Amino acid sequence: MLDLLVDLADRASGRCAYAEARHVSTDDEHLLVRNGKIERVDSESGEGIGVRVRIGGAWGFAASRDATLEGGERALAAALAVAREMPAAADRTLAPVEPARGHWSGPCEIDPFAIALEDRLELLVGAEAGLHGDARIVQSTAECILRRQASAFASTDGAACTQLRFESGGGIQAIAVEGDELQVRSYPGAHGGSVGLGGWERVLALDLAGNAARVREEVLELLRAPACPAGRRTVILGSEQLALQIHESIGHALELDRVLLGEASYAGTSWVSPGDLGSLRYGSEHLTVVADATLPGALGSFGWDDEGVAAGRTTLIEHGTLRAALSDRQSAATQGLGASAGCARADGFARQPIVRMTNVSIAPGDAGSLQDLVADTDDGLLLETNRSWSIDDRRLHFQFGTEVARVIKDGELAGLVRNPTYAGITPQFWGSMDAVCSQEAWEVHGLLNCGKGEPGQLMRVSHGTAPARFRDVEVGVA
Amino acid sequence: MAEAPLELAERALSYADGDAQVTVVHERSLSSRFARSAPTQATSVDDTTVEIACLRDGHTGAATTNRVDEGSLRAAARRADTVARAAARAGPGDHPGLPEPAPATPAAGWDEATAELDPARGAEALRAAFAGAGAAGLEAFGLWTTGAVRTAIATSSGVRATDDVTDAFMKVVLRDADGRSGYAAETAGSVGELDPVALTERARRRAPREDGVALGPGEYTVVLSADAVGVLLEFAGYLAFNGLAHVEGRGALSDRLGTTVAAPVIDLRDTPAFPRTLPRAYDAEGVPKRSVALIEGGVAGAVVHDLRSAAETGDGARSTGHAVELGSAHGPVPTNLVLAGGGAADEEALAAPVERGIYVTRLWYVNVVHERHTLLTGMTRDGTFLIEDGKIGPPVRDVRFTDSVLRILEATEDLTAAQRLVSEGEFYGRRFANGVVCPALRAHGFRVTGATR
Repeated sequence: MLDLLVDLADRASGRCAYAEARHVSTDDEHLLVRNGKIERVDSESGEGIGVRVRIGGAWGFAASRDATLEGGERALAAALAVAREMPAAADRTLAPVEPARGHWSGPCEIDPFAIALEDRLELLVGAEAGLHGDARIVQSTAECILRRQASAFASTDGAACTQLRFESGGGIQAIAVEGDELQVRSYPGAHGGSVGLGGWERVLALDLAGNAARVREEVLELLRAPACPAGRRTVILGSEQLALQIHESIGHALELDRVLLGEASYAGTSWVSPGDLGSLRYGSEHLTVVADATLPGALGSFGWDDEGVAAGRTTLIEHGTLRAALSDRQSAATQGLGASAGCARADGFARQPIVRMTNVSIAPGDAGSLQDLVADTDDGLLLETNRSWSIDDRRLHFQFGTEVARVIKDGELAGLVRNPTYAGITPQFWGSMDAVCSQEAWEVHGLLNCGKGEPGQLMRVSHGTAPARFRDVEVGVA
Repeated sequence: MAEAPLELAERALSYADGDAQVTVVHERSLSSRFARSAPTQATSVDDTTVEIACLRDGHTGAATTNRVDEGSLRAAARRADTVARAAARAGPGDHPGLPEPAPATPAAGWDEATAELDPARGAEALRAAFAGAGAAGLEAFGLWTTGAVRTAIATSSGVRATDDVTDAFMKVVLRDADGRSGYAAETAGSVGELDPVALTERARRRAPREDGVALGPGEYTVVLSADAVGVLLEFAGYLAFNGLAHVEGRGALSDRLGTTVAAPVIDLRDTPAFPRTLPRAYDAEGVPKRSVALIEGGVAGAVVHDLRSAAETGDGARSTGHAVELGSAHGPVPTNLVLAGGGAADEEALAAPVERGIYVTRLWYVNVVHERHTLLTGMTRDGTFLIEDGKIGPPVRDVRFTDSVLRILEATEDLTAAQRLVSEGEFYGRRFANGVVCPALRAHGFRVTGATR
């Protein structure tokens, strides 16, 4: 396939200023056990070629499922035709790149597709059964998400590389209803559980069955727990909720295409301006954030991004000061940067690369374990597991809900409150962070549903986080 | 694609044993994005997917591929059979079985000119937006996209169903150098119905020319544009009218059908053949789509069903043709919502009785806070204005709302007579164009819980 793509890139030379061809072959499997029954087993396989060209500053992209040279040529012709029709656009040179050559493979100890289907289902059936036992639980689920994706890439800039990745994970969830109240509890996280780069060993390590009883008990306890009181409180965000907080109020805000207004009509812009790089106070001195596409086991890791830029590690925020942004070759050139940060990613063969997060993570602090941080907190709430999320189109005003809040009193946990929500303004919120747990509490969380682009693209990213404490936060807003 | 979707579906079905359904979706689409009055991305997609779903003892197993050679289709059929059998070994499942063939009136959803996916037409639309923006001293941002999607379903029970749907969408955001912006969008079944010049002018009228004032938290009378109403109704559709969630006690209207849940002026239906909607004759299980009265005169009337939710409901319930996939665990969803118009001539007339309130052009990042309470939160963007003494007046900074969509419908005072087909023009995964036909409305007590800077 790589030879075909190189051939295609050669044929594009001279007909446009730049061309790239990408072949992606994806196998997905989703297993779902629900309410005591094997609900669904879905598998999907797909492949195709996407060709992107640049003529006079205008881009054209075309995708076809026909993964032959003829199909690739048709896609190339369509991409050229679309680009030629576009109104004129500024013709800036793309940021330079070392030609991507070679092969990269992600980690995988146990090929998940090689495990007998019956064995995979048995694990889920056993985990889901642990959620039964009370009529108020109206839905109980255990699910598993698996992916194998092979890709090849060639460009007129001399790239010729291949990559192979496995992604595996899963989770359990219980929904309970009593009267007008509905509560949700999930493990190890909401929105599909925990997924990362790797094989079946990742699913085994989750110990879904071993956590089912706790999930069941907590969802029932939440039905009759007091509602989250409104007011301003000290909060500790658990590591999974902190991952989404970083995702929404740091990661997206630092996508350079947004900063440069390229996404103003859909995903939005950013409260960060192009001139803020290097000087803006983003948060407290405890806030250091890194984008790292080499992080082991993380969904945003790769050998090269979808423009052939080698995976790298970029410090975005250093002790509270903004240092850099997430960029692709075009946005980097527009901003006058010497090179792309390697953040161009595409959702399958039928979408073109756009600026996306890789693995945007908070650096661990020195607050010890979560227990240590709770012990150091006189009065507050520990918020765990995302349930609701929303943020404005400049990534400033946010409001999140979590599945559970644990009351902290005199350094100890003292019961649950239900329907917790909190809201804030991005720089004020990050400025109020006064402690981050240490490396021992630092975990990587995968997100499967990061939406952006038109037509829409769902990207998989990860965030490394440790629980962190924030002062004077508005809670109970809903 | 030389082989018609139904021919391909029948060929794939011939490779499957026992109870099986094949769904073929052939998507062709073209999207042109723009920012700062220049083109940014242009995407042309041509893809065909074949889903083979086998039904074994109430369990479905599905395998999807976009390779249409015999070997790949046979492999998918074997895979679907294997996984369905594996699921069935744990005991019987909930699916009641494939439907019998039933006639449906073909949907008039195809427009040949739209199906041409002419990039020159898109470029022409972009130039119109750029010119309109330039004349107003603003920059244009947005999307122009058209799609032509042909769907065919063939089942071992004899169903042969096809739906051909074209769609066209354009949105324009006009923005000044200080970031003040206005929005307008149009959704249609044919590209000829899009009017880029008029659309750009609508966006210009909603672009503030001065900085917004800050609005504190509280309850306000609100005039919501049709675009904003459509977003809220989409959420109502799956939170309140999903037959599976309803019968399982998770739905917002569980135990509330037949009771008053909205103002008397609210008539909400799902009407797949409504003239201005994007019509389809069949749902994802090959069942003819039926019109369903969801709320009549403010009283909750019914929820929608697929085969499975109807079977679980019992008591004579049958599928209303609202499946989004065969045997879905997520349940059925209304995809052709129509909210009846009211008595107001236009949005200005809706604002006329309002002493102090807000006008919302567009909602953004709306999400569910509490499912049973239909409690949502989200932001306004691209044109939020104060209503003072009956006039839509100065801009306000974008606000956050946290409110129940059913409460908003309960607090609705009036609606415009005219309805529009509205959508966000979002196409994730396989293109399934849909929208809501609705008017603008005025409601009291809209709960603002915050504001951006």
